[in-house]
Amino acid sequence: MPLPRPGKELLSAKGGIPVKTPVRMEELQGWEPAFWLALKKHRLAFAFVCPALLAIGLVILYPLVAVVVTSFERYYLLEILTKGSTYIGFANYVEILKDPEFWYSLGITLFFTAACVILTILSGLAVALLLNLEFPGHRVLSVAVLLPWVMPRVASSILWKWIYDDQFGILNYLLTLLGFKGMVSYAWLAHTGSALWAVIIVVVWQSFPFIAVALLAGLQSIPDELYEAAMIDGASAWQRLHFITLPFLRNLLGVLTVISTIWDFKVFDQMWVLTGGGPAGSTMILGIHTWMHAFAYLRMGRASALAVLMLLLVTVITLFYLKVFNREEE
Amino acid sequence: MAKIRLRKRNLPALFFIYLAALVVFFVAVFPFGWMLSTSLKRPEDTFTSVPKLIPPQFTLENYRRAFQDTLLGRYILNSLYVASVVTLASLVLATLAGYGFSRFRFPGRQAWLLFILCIQMLPSVVIIIPLFIVMRNLHALNSHWALLVSYPTFTLPLSIWMLKGFFDEIPRELEEVAQIDGCSVPAAFFRVILPLTLPGITASGIYAFIGAWNEFMFAMTFINHQELYTMPVGLNAFFGQFTVEWNQLMAASVFFTLPSLVFFLLVRKYLARGIVGGAVKG
Repeated sequence: MPLPRPGKELLSAKGGIPVKTPVRMEELQGWEPAFWLALKKHRLAFAFVCPALLAIGLVILYPLVAVVVTSFERYYLLEILTKGSTYIGFANYVEILKDPEFWYSLGITLFFTAACVILTILSGLAVALLLNLEFPGHRVLSVAVLLPWVMPRVASSILWKWIYDDQFGILNYLLTLLGFKGMVSYAWLAHTGSALWAVIIVVVWQSFPFIAVALLAGLQSIPDELYEAAMIDGASAWQRLHFITLPFLRNLLGVLTVISTIWDFKVFDQMWVLTGGGPAGSTMILGIHTWMHAFAYLRMGRASALAVLMLLLVTVITLFYLKVFNREEE
Repeated sequence: MAKIRLRKRNLPALFFIYLAALVVFFVAVFPFGWMLSTSLKRPEDTFTSVPKLIPPQFTLENYRRAFQDTLLGRYILNSLYVASVVTLASLVLATLAGYGFSRFRFPGRQAWLLFILCIQMLPSVVIIIPLFIVMRNLHALNSHWALLVSYPTFTLPLSIWMLKGFFDEIPRELEEVAQIDGCSVPAAFFRVILPLTLPGITASGIYAFIGAWNEFMFAMTFINHQELYTMPVGLNAFFGQFTVEWNQLMAASVFFTLPSLVFFLLVRKYLARGIVGGAVKG
């Protein structure tokens, strides 16, 4: 005889109503009893984990849901007290996709991210290879090189703003010393041609140490014997790099590339302090674009839709990251 | 260890290596040196046609004036307060959770771990909008509460992952022995495991502290009263004035950088952890 499915009856049994069919908990079906059973079995685990998960649910999970909901609403902060917010379907998204400023911003962001990632990885790799050589003083260098990474983002942005200063900046002075006479009082951050590159340099300057250190750890895990064997076989330095070092670092390089991509896609502070999206919107990366819509134009609905689009882009990159990460774990 | 040893007599190679090392050293250190130099210079030595790397006359006047003429002291206190509270709260939650994720197998474990890994990729600008709306409705804007609630969005996931890693490294046998000796699971955790993980907890705490100390976007968006500004927002507000007092600004920036600098030197060996996970094992 098949067991009747107890469902909610059993739960109410706790409240005093007798259970009709005596069943063992293990035989129950349906999610609710299973849920309580699991809760009981793993209560110790949940006791440890739940406070943090609750906090994450509250400050991350809930906002993530809320931003999606708001993205389908007209939510104009100045009218919110009088008119409230109204559901308008995909109107925000349609508006965004029709907005040339959005496409411009997306293009700038992709260019900025790609330039930062490529330059960071290349310079990080070069520095890692250098630090892997055992020359006197390499230890000092390996600590000194961390300095840019240690500086708070806002502090380094302010510092670089001073370095880029058109009148008294040290950069223009050094360039004129090197013979670039045209650089006297060139305002790096005020020209549409150079402002983005100026920020790219700051971001690369701040992030190459991390890449270098991570790659150095990878380099040092390559067995010595491989190099020795290669030397005996007469391999040149270039061949050793090409056939031993790079293949060994491939996975790590993959992980670091994806991480850098995400970090550089998220850049906000440096851009805000150095250019604030200007001049003439030429450095208006998506982060700044979205922030402006939310807190300068107070169009929360539209800004939420922008945020969701950013989220989708990051998700794509993250999925890619997980793929690389999993391959690494195996 | 695959440190590559150089053959002694290979002079040209050594020359190029030192040239490269010099360039790298210059790029990494010079900007900081310039900041320090500007902060120790008198204004009349700063705004000259030929910049002076070594101040002709050292002065601490900029530091004194940065503290006296601006709210710098206030900003430092605010930042210290916010960063400490956030760090403590994150550490308590993350230590428990890290241990739970490391030692227990429960339904949903994998999914949560994955989710916690992924939210580290989240751009702050995505959740700042809903958080702003919530804070506004709760009348928590323009108070440090807004920051205390929003900073765990980035400190908590990182701390959980880092601490889980540290707990993973402690052999399970230790708890089993403690339990045989009559300890309950929580007692074994508090008396045996926690003391052993203290270095790891400190490292995660420092990471969380630096993260909160450096945070700019939330603080700039949620707080408008100058007395409530944190360091980064306060420093950036220097630019609102007519002329930028670069000397004072650099002095303040040195102060802003110091805690990061000291702490980072302390946790240097845990550098890549929690961010690249196990990827650096090789």
